[in-house]
Amino acid sequence: MAKDRTQGEDYIGPLKRLLLAVLLLCLLGIFLLWRIDSPRVERFRAQVVDAVVPSFDWTMTPVTATVGLFRDFQSYQRMREQNAELRRELQQMKAWKEAALQLEQENARLLDLNNVRLDPRLTYVTGVVLADSGSPFRQSVLLNIGERDGIVDGWAAMDGIGLVGRISGVGKSTSRVILLSDSSSRIPALIQPSGQTALIVGDNTVAPYIDFLENPDKVRPGDRVVSSGDGGVFPSGLLIGQVATDPGGRLRVRLAADYERLEFLRVLRDHGQDRPDTPGGIVRPSTLLPDETDLIGPMPEEAQDG
Amino acid sequence: MGSVGTGRKWRMRVMYCLLALVILYLQLLPLNHVPRGWAGPDWLVVLTVTWAIRRPEFVPVLAVAGVTLLADFILMRPPGLMAAIMVVARQMMKRQSQGLRDGTFANEWLTASAAFLGIALLNRLFLAVFLVDQPPLGLNLMQAFANILLFPAVVFLSQLLLGLRKPGPGDDDTLAGAT
Repeated sequence: MAKDRTQGEDYIGPLKRLLLAVLLLCLLGIFLLWRIDSPRVERFRAQVVDAVVPSFDWTMTPVTATVGLFRDFQSYQRMREQNAELRRELQQMKAWKEAALQLEQENARLLDLNNVRLDPRLTYVTGVVLADSGSPFRQSVLLNIGERDGIVDGWAAMDGIGLVGRISGVGKSTSRVILLSDSSSRIPALIQPSGQTALIVGDNTVAPYIDFLENPDKVRPGDRVVSSGDGGVFPSGLLIGQVATDPGGRLRVRLAADYERLEFLRVLRDHGQDRPDTPGGIVRPSTLLPDETDLIGPMPEEAQDG
Repeated sequence: MGSVGTGRKWRMRVMYCLLALVILYLQLLPLNHVPRGWAGPDWLVVLTVTWAIRRPEFVPVLAVAGVTLLADFILMRPPGLMAAIMVVARQMMKRQSQGLRDGTFANEWLTASAAFLGIALLNRLFLAVFLVDQPPLGLNLMQAFANILLFPAVVFLSQLLLGLRKPGPGDDDTLAGAT
């Protein structure tokens, strides 16, 4: 190794090599530790990000805005066509708005008839997107809300319309949202109207694909995909997107959330669903004495008596 | 060690850390949330390898390890792995740099290319051995080739803007101070 070194390195050489070996061992040790005890290291990572990123947040906003300005400038060149296009779309939208208003009224009437109360616990915290993942291999964004605002790992993040991802990694004042397009994202979903459950699996493309579908024949492009709430990961019924087929014939989800513009995200507070965890008690007539309740045997006799 | 050597050396070391932070910062800007399907070069790797091949004393091992470890943590990579690989790469480049001092640029470029490919493959190999989820191989290779293409540009820019050139026959003692 050290055959042709200059003479100055002869005595500090071994010391340096030792230090180098220690350094390498430390780094590989961190990697091994991450592999073995991932949650702890990920928590540490969240703290590192929490310490580093907000400190240059104040410069990020103007720089991002400037780049956005230049991008918008390019689109000014096509302003005329865009204007015409927008007018045409507005015309269509008016028709839709009319339909929506009617539907809303009808919906309100029906809800009233059924005496439905929407879940009052489903509230949200809104955060601003601070930074993205910074690498082409990962799809995530960093929000400026964290533990301080009561954010908990696993909560769902939405933009105004559809599901964007889930919280994974919470620091004191930041939290990371793994987007649905990330290759580690798996979301249980329900496809309507056929009512089949499936898994929405991200694969680092714009449209995640649909996996573990029992009967693909019943699913058509255009069907709505909503979160199913299976496994208690998410509240159910959040809009994810629409089914689409890619050129290879594989079913994918065209996401409802606008990934081109993720500026503000809503993080839904989820306090878990109440679900039955014990078998139901025996339904019995109220005339029965309390001390006989746990005897199952005499039940038929009691029934005859009554 | 000449008086010019030490002051400039430390300035360039600080400069390396600053440049690395700027690169991280630019990567983090929330400009693009749509998966792109292609991978650009990894500027930090290119910068480190370029400087290590030309003036290894400006990129001390500790700085490389620290900067890359920070990048590992912030960019959601497996922490420590890339840092260790970069430290090894930096050591190997340093050893090559003595032989390349009188060589042609093409020679240098070939060495750097081998380093970029080696870094990408070693990373994948480690991830495969430890059964970590991996991005598609295509993306990794694309990134390695983008690194190779970026190398001359980084060499040119750091020579133009920071005066970073191969040590000439006059200042050969600078190598002795390298960590």
